[in-house]
Amino acid sequence: MKPWPLLLLLPITLLAQNDPWDDEDWGDDDEAAAWAGFIEAGLGTRLHSDPLLDERNTLEEVRWRIESEWQPGAATVSFKADAAYDGIEAGWDAEIRDLTAAFTLAEDYDIKLGRQVQTWGTGDLLFLNDLFPKDFVSFFAGRDDEYLKAAGNAIRVTRFSEMISVDFAWTPVFEPDVYLTGERYSFFSPLAGENIAPRPPLTAVEPDEKPANGEFALRLFRTFESREIALYAYRGFFKQPTALTANLEPTFAPLTAIGASLRQPLGPGLLNVEGSYYRSRDDRDGSDPFVPNDQLRMLAGYEWEARPNFTVGLQYYLEWTGDHSRLIDNSPSPEFEPDEFRHLLTNRLTYRAGRDKHTLSLFTFFSPSDSDFYLRPSYSYRHSDEWSLTAGGNLFGGSDAHTFFSQLQDASNLYLRVRYHY
Amino acid sequence: MPRNLMLALAALSLSTGIHAEVLTDADEVIARADLAAYYGGTDGRSEVRMIITDAQDRQQRRQFTVLRRDVEDAGDQQFLVVFSQPSDVRNTVFLVDKHIDRDDDRWLYLPGLDLVKRISAGDKRTSFVGAHYFYEDVSGRRPSDDSHEFVETTDAFYVLRHTPIDPQSVEFTSYITWIDRNTFLPMKIEYTNPAGNVYRRVEVFGVENVDGHPTVTTSRVSDLLTGGRTDMQFRYIQYDVGLPESVFTERSLRNPPREWLQRPEN
Repeated sequence: MKPWPLLLLLPITLLAQNDPWDDEDWGDDDEAAAWAGFIEAGLGTRLHSDPLLDERNTLEEVRWRIESEWQPGAATVSFKADAAYDGIEAGWDAEIRDLTAAFTLAEDYDIKLGRQVQTWGTGDLLFLNDLFPKDFVSFFAGRDDEYLKAAGNAIRVTRFSEMISVDFAWTPVFEPDVYLTGERYSFFSPLAGENIAPRPPLTAVEPDEKPANGEFALRLFRTFESREIALYAYRGFFKQPTALTANLEPTFAPLTAIGASLRQPLGPGLLNVEGSYYRSRDDRDGSDPFVPNDQLRMLAGYEWEARPNFTVGLQYYLEWTGDHSRLIDNSPSPEFEPDEFRHLLTNRLTYRAGRDKHTLSLFTFFSPSDSDFYLRPSYSYRHSDEWSLTAGGNLFGGSDAHTFFSQLQDASNLYLRVRYHY
Repeated sequence: MPRNLMLALAALSLSTGIHAEVLTDADEVIARADLAAYYGGTDGRSEVRMIITDAQDRQQRRQFTVLRRDVEDAGDQQFLVVFSQPSDVRNTVFLVDKHIDRDDDRWLYLPGLDLVKRISAGDKRTSFVGAHYFYEDVSGRRPSDDSHEFVETTDAFYVLRHTPIDPQSVEFTSYITWIDRNTFLPMKIEYTNPAGNVYRRVEVFGVENVDGHPTVTTSRVSDLLTGGRTDMQFRYIQYDVGLPESVFTERSLRNPPREWLQRPEN
């Protein structure tokens, strides 16, 4: 079945939505069960085909978003879900991005239960202390940036106070990132020494579902004058299947992380500094080649408006792998192991014109140590409150086959999305 | 602080509307205008909707609720803006800590990503959510950012010209304000660009007395170069609602304070 039947919904919603500005229509105050959302068609195609994959496209979908909010008593119930026909997986897909009940206890405790998207930390498209699930498959395919953050089933408790606020997120069942499986993109396998696209697609072994294998994330934060300071702690698992089981199946290694961040104005712009220590609980001395080593991750960034409507963001990011010589000594494929120091530079340029009707953006990842890069140019056009269009690219390159961005060279794509909001 | 006392007295006299004398000090006029336009009561709430009309007469709309709290009259202030329309910006929240002695702190919450994004200080004379209004118009331009001089005093208006102290930071060379002699509300503002042309105009069309405070209820910003405009309407306005400081924190970005956003019954 092809996705086009969904497009039949368009004229219906068009008719329903054409409300001129009635002078006295200020909308319902309680906003009970107001439905909103969008329908979007997206197409992304590779610059050149991947010899390991039949499918040339990276994105081929019609997506229907529906969302609403209710306020029974003092609680807020929100719902946000997508139904999509995916031409690449040749099937329908439904996903709930938000289904939560939020309420306040004892004045200072905000509780949010259910499936939700969560974000914290100061990085721009770089995440150190934010160990909530991410969807890199969507991100690389050309879907909206929103889809980089995947939803997870969690209980979030936030206690606000003037001294120090505490944010706690418990994810009872581990929620990994949406990782590369070989279905949409091929990826580098150190065992094979080259890119692979396994059939059936790779599935990593997830931790057993037991209470101790849940994810616990904590953030303590406070704003002093204009300076935001936060401390973080996490106990769970590496979000990517970077470890191997005894049967050489990919899996998620246990992880404990602690970190801190700072964000404050500096001169005409904003400075952010963040650090996190990743403690690989199953490989304390770094000698197990099938489990990632400890890492220290550091980030410093600066963003400012260089000219009116033109914003520049720069970031330097470092991954310092601990016990590196032991890793190399024990690795069956030392040539594919990460460098002791992986440096990454990012640059975001954003230019907005015509009162934000047009947005031109270029995000660049460049790693001098891995000699690879990832460019994300995009152009967004907001035609009206209903119609918008985004065109862009995901361009990968590098000199070694095994580095993170380099392995995705054959996934380089251009995409176009047209969205109708209702 | 004698100056603050003076301003407080000015605010008092505003509410009673007694202004027999003619002021001759431009700084005093602008200080009173700043109070009248941005500091009514100790706090306030209003619902706002904007119709943005571009040069081709295509329209967009925005609707939001603004909460404001004064830390000090003519001093620091806090603003919380919660969007309800259109659907792609619904639940987007904008928080401003306005400072007199340093740059404002501003945050934007993007609900799709659950992202609290901070906005850099320079980025303020740019479009506010697609409107012809600027970010800076939401919380007000600091009087100390410009020097002020009289152009004339008419029966109805004090007419003042304002010249930026730091011309590099703005797109205009000067602007002229028509300030109502009774209410001290700026009723018209015209901005002149480096080419010497008036290219941007703000006009007030409706003023109502709300709880003793003369309050703008209808205004328009026109882009005279392209022909576009944004019309703004304010409704359900309240003063002195007792907003606590805790409303203006990260908490309200992720979890807008329903208690204070609720439309008053009247």
